[in-house]
Amino acid sequence: MATNSEIVSALKSIPWFAELKPEHFKRVVEAATLRYVKAGEELFKEGNKEDCFYIVLEGRVALDIFVPHRGKVRIYTAESMDLIGWSSITPVVHSRTAGATVVQPGKLAAFNAEKIRQLCEEDHDFGYLLMRRIAHIISGRLMVTRLQLLDMFADPDSESSHV
Amino acid sequence: MFNKILNINSSVTLPRSEFDTLLASLHELGYLTVGPRAQDESIVYAKIEKLDDLPLGYTSEQGPASFRLMAGRHNRYFDAIPGAQSWKQFLFPPRTHIFSADKLERWTIQPNQKQQPRYALIGVRACELASIEIQDRAFLRTDFRDPIYRARREQLFILAVNCLHPAGTCFCVSMETGPKVRGGYDLCLTELDDVFMIEIGSELGRDVLSRCQYEPASGFVQSAVEKGLERAVGEMGRALQLDDLPSLLTDNLELKHWDTVAKRCLSCGNCTQVCPTCFCWDVSDHTDLLAQKTSRERVWDSCFNPQYSYVFGGATRPNIRSRYRQWLTHKLGAWKEQYDTFGCTGCGRCITWCPEGIDLTEEIAALREEIKT
Amino acid sequence: MIAMASNIAPHHAGHEDCLLQPDWAEVVKIVPEAEGVSTFWLKFTDPKIQERYHFAPGQFNMLYLPGYGEAAISMSSDPEAPDRLLGHTIRHVGNVTKGIARLKAGGVVGIRGPFGSSWPLDAVEGKDIVVACGGIGLPPLRPLIYHIMHNRSKFGKVTLLYGARTPKDLLYQNEYEIWKQADIDVNVTVDRGDDTWSGRVGVVPMWFYNLRVDPQKTAVMTCGPEIMIRFVIYEGLARRVPAERIFVSLERNMKCGQGSCGHCQIGPYFVCKDGPVFPFSALEKFFNVEEY
Repeated sequence: MATNSEIVSALKSIPWFAELKPEHFKRVVEAATLRYVKAGEELFKEGNKEDCFYIVLEGRVALDIFVPHRGKVRIYTAESMDLIGWSSITPVVHSRTAGATVVQPGKLAAFNAEKIRQLCEEDHDFGYLLMRRIAHIISGRLMVTRLQLLDMFADPDSESSHV
Repeated sequence: MFNKILNINSSVTLPRSEFDTLLASLHELGYLTVGPRAQDESIVYAKIEKLDDLPLGYTSEQGPASFRLMAGRHNRYFDAIPGAQSWKQFLFPPRTHIFSADKLERWTIQPNQKQQPRYALIGVRACELASIEIQDRAFLRTDFRDPIYRARREQLFILAVNCLHPAGTCFCVSMETGPKVRGGYDLCLTELDDVFMIEIGSELGRDVLSRCQYEPASGFVQSAVEKGLERAVGEMGRALQLDDLPSLLTDNLELKHWDTVAKRCLSCGNCTQVCPTCFCWDVSDHTDLLAQKTSRERVWDSCFNPQYSYVFGGATRPNIRSRYRQWLTHKLGAWKEQYDTFGCTGCGRCITWCPEGIDLTEEIAALREEIKT
Repeated sequence: MIAMASNIAPHHAGHEDCLLQPDWAEVVKIVPEAEGVSTFWLKFTDPKIQERYHFAPGQFNMLYLPGYGEAAISMSSDPEAPDRLLGHTIRHVGNVTKGIARLKAGGVVGIRGPFGSSWPLDAVEGKDIVVACGGIGLPPLRPLIYHIMHNRSKFGKVTLLYGARTPKDLLYQNEYEIWKQADIDVNVTVDRGDDTWSGRVGVVPMWFYNLRVDPQKTAVMTCGPEIMIRFVIYEGLARRVPAERIFVSLERNMKCGQGSCGHCQIGPYFVCKDGPVFPFSALEKFFNVEEY
């Protein structure tokens, strides 16, 4: 189990946490744990109902979606300072839509999403900062997804490619 | 022994009967004389042997999508404003065999060793001479000279002609290329009703003329030529304002008007084929069934050709709208930056020979209008 | 009669005045790189031509297959390599490139070249370089990577961002370690992977988020599908890298390679002669005009 001071110093290494007021930072620390992960470890499966999100501190985590006849398609990898499981902040579908597997061992900060959502409701200033950050992450993710969707390296004559 | 009055830039008068002597001198010097002929209800450029091969008495009435060759209108030889053909076919032939590559024991190339012909162009109008000079800039650069064009151009004899009677689609005045011929010729002829006035432009021109019976051009004749040219300036078929070009085109690539003209344009490419400055070409490779005897040709191409812009994945200009825009923004836009001149000389062929009668002077005006509103 | 300019500098191996005529070269070896992609290593059959042929990173040759035609292929090898073989990494998708794919070692192709502008090596000395490329866009940049490796101290931080469709489409995989050892930060990503791929999944433009870019001293060199180039440019400009220091290699229909036939024009430029490498500042005005 990570000590409180280990959690604090890990979270301080995340640049946008520096914007948080001390009382907010304290609440976030209370909602966080550190997790050390090995290569091959499954963080969560598609369909899981766990209610947390992760920030990768070291290592690499892959997101996979199982497609019948195609197997597990690896659609994204998260590196240091990237966030996975952001949809738990704004849940629509209350289960994981992709599976997460560690591909390079490392360290993650895991956050209790319910506590964070509660903090957003209680304190809109914190809520705004968090949502702004999430919006930024989502917009980057959307750009990546769009470029993946455009399948820009595909053979234009092949029927199995692109939109 | 040259007669004293034959200096470069001096003018003489030549009776019509002496013109065949002039052609004969050119033949003796090894030139193939080509000039306008009335043929196939049009004016073509073909071999001429004597003055009477020229279209005596013909006039061409031209308008958008319309060309009529009318006979018996007058008694001049050089009056008929040209048809679809231009002189570019002689410097930049539509098809040229470049080499054969055959697999004997090893692959060997036999380049086309044929001597390039020596042409004397008889009757080159001011706009056409300007077009040749524009093509010179495209084909003869400091970093690369096209060998076919260069060989023909180096040997070229030009007998230019001042236009006194422009046709309906002419706008050389707007393009500042005519109707008066300015330099770049060996001889320049102006046809008055009964006599030719000829100005000497080069040593070669002087040499060719020296074998003819001529008189110095009188002040009366010279003034008649000047007056005729002044009158011709006022008889242009259309006009094109240049002061906001090229930026009018290069800054306005997304106007609605491009859609409007695209609806009319058939992308047939006529304009590029008849245009005396268009220089695009393609490489055509041929092979026998065993791929052992192959050859390579250079052929005319057109930016309207749907495959012109093909890259893996498809053409970058798959629609007529983008191809028409490419042609016009090149001709009166990008060309200026490439070659320090507009690509258009105001000859009007593209207007006459467009089956839709698209008139680039009107298209430019329409683009200008759309920007204003 | 018009006086002809006589100060013509021959600009390629072969014949200054022989239009469209190639010199023969032998296929020395063929290295498969990925599905449908292989590198043909060529050497001129005439040793005198082989001796005097030099190219700069970013330039291309017109490879001629008799009876089929020609394809414009960038050189992907080290211009300073001692064996002086010319590497051409080719994606075999059209008539000519599929015909070339059927050649074996000892086969013969024609070469005209080198043509085009090159990556601006001198202008970016002392700068940090971000090489951002994807798919078949890496081959024209590989000669630049070799140049950087031979002259490492002349450049600042060098980062390679390279993307491909899937892991099996990644080119030159056995060289990434060598490049890393030359102090180049190599970042490879794929659009999608499977559960055996432990590398990155994402797209090249995304990697700008992780870079610390000093706009005063960074140059970006990019080549790949035009969509990827467009997004790399967005990311570069977003980080205030000036448009004059974002260099793009474009692809257009090349026939003559010499700026004469007109096919490769974009705006006032002939991509074969004024490009294929351009500073984005030259293209800015019309780069986003559809179908221009």
